[in-house]
Amino acid sequence: MLWERLAQGEPAAVDEALSRFGRLIWSLARRHTPDQAEAEDAVQDILLDLWKCAGRYDARFGSPATFVATIARRRLIDRRRRNQRHQQGDSLVGDDGLTVDLPDPRADKAEANADAALAMQALRELPGHEREAILLSTYQGMSHSQIAAHTNQPLGTVKTYIRRGLIRVRERLDRRQDTALGEEAAP
Amino acid sequence: MTTDNRSLDLLVQEVTEGLDAAGTMELRQRLGADLDDELSAFAFAAAASELAMGGLDHEMPRAVRDKARQAYLDAASNESTTDSVPTLRHRPRQRTPAPSARFGDRLGWLIAAAALLLAVIGWWPRPGDWPLPETTRRAEPEVRRSQLLANAGDAVELPWQATGDPAATGAAGDVVWSHDRQVGFMRFRGLAVNDPSDHQYQLWIFDGSRDDRFPVDGGVFDIDGSGEIIVPIRAKLEVEAPVLFAVTIERPGGVVVSSRERIVLMAKVG
Repeated sequence: MLWERLAQGEPAAVDEALSRFGRLIWSLARRHTPDQAEAEDAVQDILLDLWKCAGRYDARFGSPATFVATIARRRLIDRRRRNQRHQQGDSLVGDDGLTVDLPDPRADKAEANADAALAMQALRELPGHEREAILLSTYQGMSHSQIAAHTNQPLGTVKTYIRRGLIRVRERLDRRQDTALGEEAAP
Repeated sequence: MTTDNRSLDLLVQEVTEGLDAAGTMELRQRLGADLDDELSAFAFAAAASELAMGGLDHEMPRAVRDKARQAYLDAASNESTTDSVPTLRHRPRQRTPAPSARFGDRLGWLIAAAALLLAVIGWWPRPGDWPLPETTRRAEPEVRRSQLLANAGDAVELPWQATGDPAATGAAGDVVWSHDRQVGFMRFRGLAVNDPSDHQYQLWIFDGSRDDRFPVDGGVFDIDGSGEIIVPIRAKLEVEAPVLFAVTIERPGGVVVSSRERIVLMAKVG
Protein backbone atom coordinates (compact mmCIF):
# COMPACT_ATOMS: atom_id res chain seq x y z
CA MET A 1 0.00 0.00 0.00
CA LEU A 2 1.23 3.45 -0.88
CA TRP A 3 0.49 4.90 2.53
CA GLU A 4 2.49 2.35 4.44
CA ARG A 5 5.44 2.76 2.11
CA LEU A 6 5.17 6.54 2.33
CA ALA A 7 5.15 6.36 6.13
CA GLN A 8 8.34 4.32 5.94
CA GLY A 9 10.07 6.99 3.88
CA GLU A 10 10.41 4.85 0.78
CA PRO A 11 11.69 6.93 -2.17
CA ALA A 12 9.51 5.15 -4.71
CA ALA A 13 6.50 5.90 -2.53
CA VAL A 14 7.02 9.64 -2.67
CA ASP A 15 7.41 9.39 -6.44
CA GLU A 16 4.13 7.55 -6.65
CA ALA A 17 2.44 10.02 -4.31
CA LEU A 18 3.64 12.94 -6.41
CA SER A 19 2.50 11.21 -9.55
CA ARG A 20 -0.97 10.54 -8.17
CA PHE A 21 -1.54 13.66 -6.14
CA GLY A 22 0.97 16.21 -7.38
CA ARG A 23 -1.59 18.13 -9.40
CA LEU A 24 -4.02 18.19 -6.51
CA ILE A 25 -1.40 19.39 -4.05
CA TRP A 26 0.00 22.02 -6.41
CA SER A 27 -3.42 23.29 -7.41
CA LEU A 28 -4.50 23.66 -3.80
CA ALA A 29 -1.23 25.34 -2.87
CA ARG A 30 -1.51 27.84 -5.71
CA ARG A 31 -5.14 28.50 -4.95
CA HIS A 32 -4.52 29.30 -1.30
CA THR A 33 -1.20 31.12 -1.34
CA PRO A 34 -0.39 34.58 -2.66
CA ASP A 35 2.45 33.68 -5.00
CA GLN A 36 4.46 30.84 -6.46
CA ALA A 37 7.27 31.07 -3.92
CA GLU A 38 4.84 30.60 -1.06
CA ALA A 39 3.16 27.80 -2.94
CA GLU A 40 6.48 26.01 -3.38
CA ASP A 41 7.19 26.23 0.33
CA ALA A 42 3.69 25.03 1.10
CA VAL A 43 4.12 22.00 -1.15
CA GLN A 44 7.16 20.90 0.83
CA ASP A 45 5.27 21.31 4.09
CA ILE A 46 2.33 19.34 2.73
CA LEU A 47 4.46 16.48 1.50
CA LEU A 48 6.14 16.17 4.87
CA ASP A 49 2.76 16.25 6.59
CA LEU A 50 1.67 13.41 4.31
CA TRP A 51 4.71 11.45 5.41
CA LYS A 52 3.84 11.97 9.05
CA CYS A 53 0.18 11.11 8.63
CA ALA A 54 0.36 8.42 5.96
CA GLY A 55 0.30 5.58 8.45
CA ARG A 56 -3.15 6.61 9.65
CA TYR A 57 -4.97 6.54 6.33
CA ASP A 58 -7.97 4.20 6.23
CA ALA A 59 -9.74 3.79 2.89
CA ARG A 60 -13.06 3.08 4.55
CA PHE A 61 -13.39 6.63 5.74
CA GLY A 62 -12.56 8.61 2.63
CA SER A 63 -10.89 8.56 -0.71
CA PRO A 64 -7.13 9.05 -0.98
CA ALA A 65 -7.65 12.35 -2.74
CA THR A 66 -9.90 13.65 0.04
CA PHE A 67 -7.32 12.53 2.60
CA VAL A 68 -4.58 14.38 0.74
CA ALA A 69 -6.77 17.43 0.29
CA THR A 70 -7.60 17.46 3.99
CA ILE A 71 -3.94 17.41 4.95
CA ALA A 72 -3.09 20.03 2.35
CA ARG A 73 -5.90 22.34 3.49
CA ARG A 74 -4.78 21.97 7.08
CA ARG A 75 -1.32 23.17 6.21
CA LEU A 76 -2.53 25.92 3.91
CA ILE A 77 -4.89 27.29 6.56
CA ASP A 78 -1.96 27.25 9.00
CA ARG A 79 0.17 29.24 6.62
CA ARG A 80 -2.58 31.66 5.82
CA ARG A 81 -3.21 32.43 9.47
CA ARG A 82 0.47 32.82 10.10
CA ASN A 83 0.86 35.18 7.19
CA GLN A 84 -2.30 37.00 8.27
CA ARG A 85 -3.32 37.95 4.82
CA HIS A 86 -5.85 36.79 2.29
CA GLN A 87 -4.38 35.33 -0.86
CA GLN A 88 -5.10 37.24 -4.05
CA GLY A 89 -2.97 38.28 -6.94
CA ASP A 90 -1.73 35.59 -9.27
CA SER A 91 -3.46 32.69 -7.61
CA LEU A 92 -5.20 30.26 -9.87
CA VAL A 93 -8.61 31.61 -8.94
CA GLY A 94 -7.90 34.99 -10.49
CA ASP A 95 -9.59 38.33 -10.15
CA ASP A 96 -12.89 37.06 -11.43
CA GLY A 97 -12.65 34.02 -9.23
CA LEU A 98 -15.26 35.08 -6.71
CA THR A 99 -17.70 32.70 -8.29
CA VAL A 100 -19.96 30.46 -6.31
CA ASP A 101 -21.39 28.50 -9.19
CA LEU A 102 -20.93 24.79 -8.92
CA PRO A 103 -19.26 23.20 -11.95
CA ASP A 104 -21.40 21.27 -14.40
CA PRO A 105 -21.09 17.65 -13.31
CA ARG A 106 -21.39 16.55 -16.90
CA ALA A 107 -18.22 18.41 -17.75
CA ASP A 108 -16.32 15.97 -15.55
CA LYS A 109 -13.82 18.63 -14.64
CA ALA A 110 -14.15 17.95 -10.94
CA GLU A 111 -12.20 15.24 -9.28
CA ALA A 112 -13.32 11.74 -10.21
CA ASN A 113 -13.82 11.29 -6.50
CA ALA A 114 -16.79 9.80 -4.71
CA ASP A 115 -16.45 12.17 -1.77
CA ALA A 116 -16.41 15.19 -4.03
CA ALA A 117 -19.46 13.90 -5.88
CA LEU A 118 -21.35 13.45 -2.63
CA ALA A 119 -20.28 16.88 -1.47
CA MET A 120 -21.50 18.36 -4.73
CA GLN A 121 -24.87 16.69 -4.29
CA ALA A 122 -25.13 18.11 -0.80
CA LEU A 123 -24.05 21.55 -1.94
CA ARG A 124 -26.60 21.60 -4.75
CA GLU A 125 -29.35 20.91 -2.25
CA LEU A 126 -28.39 23.79 -0.01
CA PRO A 127 -30.13 27.15 -0.03
CA GLY A 128 -28.16 29.55 -2.18
CA HIS A 129 -26.86 31.67 0.66
CA GLU A 130 -25.53 28.65 2.54
CA ARG A 131 -23.86 27.26 -0.56
CA GLU A 132 -22.34 30.63 -1.33
CA ALA A 133 -20.92 30.99 2.17
CA ILE A 134 -19.34 27.52 2.14
CA LEU A 135 -17.77 27.95 -1.25
CA LEU A 136 -16.44 31.40 -0.48
CA SER A 137 -14.85 29.82 2.58
CA THR A 138 -13.55 26.49 1.33
CA TYR A 139 -12.93 27.31 -2.32
CA GLN A 140 -12.04 30.97 -2.16
CA GLY A 141 -10.33 30.77 1.20
CA MET A 142 -12.12 33.83 2.51
CA SER A 143 -12.37 34.38 6.22
CA HIS A 144 -15.81 34.50 7.77
CA SER A 145 -15.42 38.26 8.30
CA GLN A 146 -14.51 38.73 4.65
CA ILE A 147 -17.51 36.71 3.58
CA ALA A 148 -19.74 38.80 5.80
CA ALA A 149 -18.41 41.96 4.18
CA HIS A 150 -18.64 40.52 0.68
CA THR A 151 -22.20 39.30 1.07
CA ASN A 152 -23.32 42.17 3.28
CA GLN A 153 -24.50 39.75 5.92
CA PRO A 154 -23.88 39.79 9.68
CA LEU A 155 -20.90 37.70 10.76
CA GLY A 156 -23.09 35.50 12.93
CA THR A 157 -25.36 34.78 9.98
CA VAL A 158 -22.38 33.78 7.84
CA LYS A 159 -21.15 31.43 10.54
CA THR A 160 -24.59 29.87 10.74
CA TYR A 161 -24.74 29.37 6.97
CA ILE A 162 -21.33 27.71 6.88
CA ARG A 163 -22.14 25.54 9.87
CA ARG A 164 -25.42 24.33 8.41
CA GLY A 165 -23.93 23.69 5.03
CA LEU A 166 -20.90 21.76 6.24
CA ILE A 167 -23.14 19.67 8.47
CA ARG A 168 -25.15 18.70 5.38
CA VAL A 169 -22.01 17.74 3.53
CA ARG A 170 -20.73 15.81 6.49
CA GLU A 171 -24.02 13.95 6.90
CA ARG A 172 -23.91 12.95 3.23
CA LEU A 173 -20.39 11.62 3.62
CA ASP A 174 -21.33 9.86 6.86
CA ARG A 175 -24.20 8.03 5.12
CA ARG A 176 -21.81 6.80 2.45
CA GLN A 177 -19.42 5.50 5.09
CA ASP A 178 -22.25 3.84 7.00
CA THR A 179 -23.23 2.09 3.78
CA ALA A 180 -19.65 0.99 3.19
CA LEU A 181 -19.28 -0.30 6.73
CA GLY A 182 -22.57 -2.11 6.46
CA GLU A 183 -21.49 -3.79 3.27
CA GLU A 184 -18.20 -4.78 4.84
CA ALA A 185 -19.91 -6.25 7.87
CA ALA A 186 -22.50 -8.15 5.86
CA PRO A 187 -21.99 -11.91 5.75
CA MET B 1 -22.06 14.52 15.87
CA THR B 2 -22.26 17.10 18.61
CA THR B 3 -25.43 19.14 18.64
CA ASP B 4 -24.04 22.07 20.58
CA ASN B 5 -24.06 25.08 18.27
CA ARG B 6 -21.10 26.76 19.89
CA SER B 7 -19.00 23.60 19.47
CA LEU B 8 -20.16 23.28 15.89
CA ASP B 9 -19.23 26.87 15.15
CA LEU B 10 -15.77 26.34 16.61
CA LEU B 11 -15.29 23.13 14.63
CA VAL B 12 -16.34 24.80 11.42
CA GLN B 13 -14.14 27.78 12.08
CA GLU B 14 -11.19 25.51 12.75
CA VAL B 15 -11.49 23.66 9.44
CA THR B 16 -12.16 26.76 7.35
CA GLU B 17 -10.06 29.58 8.75
CA GLY B 18 -8.43 28.26 11.89
CA LEU B 19 -8.87 29.01 15.57
CA ASP B 20 -6.79 31.08 17.89
CA ALA B 21 -5.41 29.67 21.13
CA ALA B 22 -8.49 30.60 23.14
CA GLY B 23 -10.79 28.99 20.63
CA THR B 24 -8.65 25.89 20.55
CA MET B 25 -8.77 25.51 24.30
CA GLU B 26 -12.49 26.12 24.40
CA LEU B 27 -13.09 23.50 21.74
CA ARG B 28 -10.96 21.01 23.59
CA GLN B 29 -12.81 21.69 26.83
CA ARG B 30 -16.19 21.36 25.13
CA LEU B 31 -15.56 18.18 23.21
CA GLY B 32 -12.87 16.38 25.16
CA ALA B 33 -12.33 12.89 23.81
CA ASP B 34 -14.73 13.49 20.91
CA LEU B 35 -12.58 16.28 19.50
CA ASP B 36 -10.54 14.12 17.12
CA ASP B 37 -13.60 12.48 15.59
CA GLU B 38 -15.48 15.72 15.15
CA LEU B 39 -12.53 17.61 13.67
CA SER B 40 -11.78 14.77 11.29
CA ALA B 41 -15.34 14.62 10.04
CA PHE B 42 -15.64 18.34 9.41
CA ALA B 43 -12.20 18.61 7.87
CA PHE B 44 -13.10 15.89 5.39
CA ALA B 45 -16.39 17.63 4.63
CA ALA B 46 -14.61 20.91 3.96
CA ALA B 47 -12.03 19.19 1.76
CA ALA B 48 -14.71 17.34 -0.18
CA SER B 49 -16.55 20.62 -0.70
CA GLU B 50 -13.46 22.16 -2.21
CA LEU B 51 -12.77 19.09 -4.34
CA ALA B 52 -16.30 19.35 -5.68
CA MET B 53 -15.38 22.64 -7.33
CA GLY B 54 -12.72 20.99 -9.46
CA GLY B 55 -9.97 23.01 -11.09
CA LEU B 56 -7.32 20.96 -9.37
CA ASP B 57 -5.46 19.56 -12.34
CA HIS B 58 -2.62 22.03 -12.73
CA GLU B 59 0.68 20.30 -13.31
CA MET B 60 3.26 20.75 -10.57
CA PRO B 61 6.41 22.33 -12.05
CA ARG B 62 9.28 19.92 -12.27
CA ALA B 63 11.53 22.07 -10.11
CA VAL B 64 8.91 22.23 -7.36
CA ARG B 65 8.41 18.49 -7.52
CA ASP B 66 12.13 17.78 -7.32
CA LYS B 67 12.63 20.15 -4.41
CA ALA B 68 9.72 18.72 -2.44
CA ARG B 69 10.85 15.19 -3.16
CA GLN B 70 14.35 15.91 -1.91
CA ALA B 71 13.07 17.55 1.27
CA TYR B 72 10.95 14.48 1.98
CA LEU B 73 13.84 12.09 1.34
CA ASP B 74 16.21 14.11 3.49
CA ALA B 75 13.73 14.19 6.35
CA ALA B 76 12.97 10.49 6.08
CA SER B 77 16.65 9.63 5.87
CA ASN B 78 17.56 11.74 8.85
CA GLU B 79 14.73 10.25 10.88
CA SER B 80 15.89 6.69 10.18
CA THR B 81 19.56 7.27 10.96
CA THR B 82 19.39 9.46 14.02
CA ASP B 83 16.65 7.90 16.07
CA SER B 84 16.21 4.60 17.78
CA VAL B 85 12.66 5.61 18.71
CA PRO B 86 10.17 5.46 15.84
CA THR B 87 8.40 8.71 15.19
CA LEU B 88 5.40 7.44 13.27
CA ARG B 89 2.92 5.61 15.39
CA HIS B 90 0.52 3.44 13.48
CA ARG B 91 -2.38 2.91 15.77
CA PRO B 92 -4.22 -0.37 15.22
CA ARG B 93 -7.21 -0.03 12.92
CA GLN B 94 -10.57 -1.29 14.11
CA ARG B 95 -12.05 -3.74 11.66
CA THR B 96 -15.62 -2.83 12.61
CA PRO B 97 -15.53 0.51 14.30
CA ALA B 98 -18.56 1.56 16.32
CA PRO B 99 -20.58 4.28 14.65
CA SER B 100 -19.65 6.77 17.32
CA ALA B 101 -15.99 6.10 16.59
CA ARG B 102 -16.16 6.19 12.82
CA PHE B 103 -13.25 8.54 12.59
CA GLY B 104 -11.57 7.18 15.70
CA ASP B 105 -8.07 6.81 14.40
CA ARG B 106 -8.36 8.66 11.19
CA LEU B 107 -6.81 11.99 11.85
CA GLY B 108 -5.83 12.42 15.46
CA TRP B 109 -3.37 14.99 14.27
CA LEU B 110 -6.20 17.38 13.64
CA ILE B 111 -5.76 18.40 17.23
CA ALA B 112 -3.32 20.54 15.35
CA ALA B 113 -5.79 23.34 15.85
CA ALA B 114 -2.92 24.77 17.80
CA ALA B 115 -0.58 24.08 14.92
CA LEU B 116 -2.18 27.10 13.33
CA LEU B 117 -0.22 29.19 15.74
CA LEU B 118 3.07 27.38 15.46
CA ALA B 119 5.72 28.67 13.15
CA VAL B 120 6.32 25.49 11.17
CA ILE B 121 8.21 26.71 8.17
CA GLY B 122 11.29 24.62 7.62
CA TRP B 123 10.84 22.35 10.58
CA TRP B 124 12.38 19.44 8.77
CA PRO B 125 16.01 18.66 9.60
CA ARG B 126 18.51 20.67 7.61
CA PRO B 127 19.71 18.45 4.78
CA GLY B 128 23.38 17.72 4.57
CA ASP B 129 24.05 19.45 7.84
CA TRP B 130 24.76 16.53 10.11
CA PRO B 131 28.32 16.95 11.30
CA LEU B 132 28.88 13.57 12.95
CA PRO B 133 30.26 10.67 10.91
CA GLU B 134 28.03 7.91 9.57
CA THR B 135 29.22 5.36 12.15
CA THR B 136 28.32 7.71 14.94
CA ARG B 137 24.82 8.27 13.62
CA ARG B 138 24.07 4.60 13.95
CA ALA B 139 25.62 4.18 17.39
CA GLU B 140 23.56 3.65 20.47
CA PRO B 141 22.08 6.81 21.96
CA GLU B 142 24.42 6.52 24.94
CA VAL B 143 27.46 6.62 22.71
CA ARG B 144 26.01 9.40 20.60
CA ARG B 145 25.27 11.43 23.70
CA SER B 146 28.81 11.02 24.95
CA GLN B 147 30.25 11.96 21.60
CA LEU B 148 28.04 15.02 21.39
CA LEU B 149 29.32 16.17 24.76
CA ALA B 150 32.88 15.50 23.67
CA ASN B 151 32.69 17.02 20.20
CA ALA B 152 30.17 19.86 20.38
CA GLY B 153 31.81 22.81 22.04
CA ASP B 154 28.49 24.48 22.78
CA ALA B 155 26.74 21.45 24.29
CA VAL B 156 25.08 22.11 27.63
CA GLU B 157 24.15 19.52 30.21
CA LEU B 158 21.22 20.43 32.39
CA PRO B 159 19.90 18.40 35.34
CA TRP B 160 16.21 17.55 35.51
CA GLN B 161 14.17 18.97 38.36
CA ALA B 162 11.28 16.73 39.35
CA THR B 163 7.89 18.29 39.98
CA GLY B 164 5.33 17.04 42.46
CA ASP B 165 3.72 14.80 39.87
CA PRO B 166 3.60 11.19 41.08
CA ALA B 167 5.29 9.98 37.89
CA ALA B 168 8.35 12.07 38.79
CA THR B 169 8.82 10.67 42.29
CA GLY B 170 12.46 9.73 42.55
CA ALA B 171 13.15 10.73 38.96
CA ALA B 172 16.48 12.22 37.96
CA GLY B 173 18.69 12.65 34.94
CA ASP B 174 19.65 15.39 32.57
CA VAL B 175 19.25 16.85 29.14
CA VAL B 176 22.12 17.57 26.78
CA TRP B 177 21.62 20.07 23.97
CA SER B 178 23.82 21.56 21.26
CA HIS B 179 22.47 24.72 19.69
CA ASP B 180 24.94 24.64 16.80
CA ARG B 181 24.04 21.09 15.83
CA GLN B 182 20.38 21.28 16.91
CA VAL B 183 20.83 17.90 18.52
CA GLY B 184 20.27 16.66 22.04
CA PHE B 185 19.58 13.74 24.33
CA MET B 186 17.52 13.21 27.44
CA ARG B 187 18.66 10.86 30.17
CA PHE B 188 16.27 9.47 32.75
CA ARG B 189 16.49 7.41 35.89
CA GLY B 190 13.52 6.56 38.01
CA LEU B 191 10.84 8.13 35.81
CA ALA B 192 7.67 6.11 36.11
CA VAL B 193 7.08 3.42 33.49
CA ASN B 194 4.22 4.33 31.16
CA ASP B 195 1.66 2.31 29.25
CA PRO B 196 1.97 3.70 25.71
CA SER B 197 -1.60 2.74 24.94
CA ASP B 198 -2.74 4.98 27.77
CA HIS B 199 -0.27 7.87 27.88
CA GLN B 200 3.19 8.89 26.74
CA TYR B 201 5.83 11.38 27.74
CA GLN B 202 6.48 14.40 25.54
CA LEU B 203 9.36 16.86 25.56
CA TRP B 204 8.80 20.60 25.09
CA ILE B 205 11.56 23.09 24.40
CA PHE B 206 10.73 26.64 25.42
CA ASP B 207 12.44 28.94 22.98
CA GLY B 208 13.11 32.49 24.08
CA SER B 209 12.61 33.70 20.51
CA ARG B 210 9.05 32.30 20.36
CA ASP B 211 5.77 32.78 22.16
CA ASP B 212 6.04 30.66 25.28
CA ARG B 213 2.46 29.51 24.83
CA PHE B 214 3.78 27.37 22.01
CA PRO B 215 7.01 25.63 22.90
CA VAL B 216 8.78 23.47 20.36
CA ASP B 217 7.74 19.83 20.32
CA GLY B 218 10.79 17.73 21.19
CA GLY B 219 9.20 14.36 20.56
CA VAL B 220 7.20 11.67 22.28
CA PHE B 221 8.80 8.80 24.13
CA ASP B 222 8.20 5.93 26.53
CA ILE B 223 9.84 4.68 29.70
CA ASP B 224 9.90 0.91 29.84
CA GLY B 225 11.49 0.51 33.22
CA SER B 226 14.90 -0.71 32.05
CA GLY B 227 17.01 1.40 34.37
CA GLU B 228 18.72 4.40 32.84
CA ILE B 229 17.22 5.43 29.54
CA ILE B 230 18.64 7.83 26.97
CA VAL B 231 16.24 9.31 24.44
CA PRO B 232 17.25 11.42 21.41
CA ILE B 233 15.55 14.79 21.19
CA ARG B 234 13.55 15.24 17.98
CA ALA B 235 12.80 18.93 17.82
CA LYS B 236 10.15 19.68 15.22
CA LEU B 237 11.46 23.20 14.68
CA GLU B 238 14.82 24.88 14.87
CA VAL B 239 15.44 26.12 18.40
CA GLU B 240 16.97 29.56 18.52
CA ALA B 241 17.32 30.24 22.22
CA PRO B 242 16.29 27.42 24.54
CA VAL B 243 15.40 28.61 28.01
CA LEU B 244 13.64 25.58 29.43
CA PHE B 245 13.14 21.90 28.69
CA ALA B 246 9.99 20.33 30.12
CA VAL B 247 8.52 16.84 30.01
CA THR B 248 4.78 16.39 30.21
CA ILE B 249 2.43 13.43 30.17
CA GLU B 250 0.14 13.34 27.15
CA ARG B 251 -2.21 11.03 25.37
CA PRO B 252 -0.75 8.36 23.05
CA GLY B 253 0.93 9.96 20.09
CA GLY B 254 1.39 13.25 21.85
CA VAL B 255 -0.29 16.56 21.25
CA VAL B 256 0.43 19.71 19.31
CA VAL B 257 -0.13 21.99 22.27
CA SER B 258 0.07 20.69 25.78
CA SER B 259 -2.50 21.61 28.37
CA ARG B 260 0.40 21.34 30.83
CA GLU B 261 -1.83 19.55 33.27
CA ARG B 262 0.94 17.07 34.07
CA ILE B 263 4.45 18.47 33.97
CA VAL B 264 6.84 15.91 35.40
CA LEU B 265 10.36 17.22 34.79
CA MET B 266 11.96 20.56 33.97
CA ALA B 267 15.49 21.63 33.12
CA LYS B 268 16.25 25.31 33.05
CA VAL B 269 18.98 26.84 30.91
CA GLY B 270 21.36 29.21 32.62
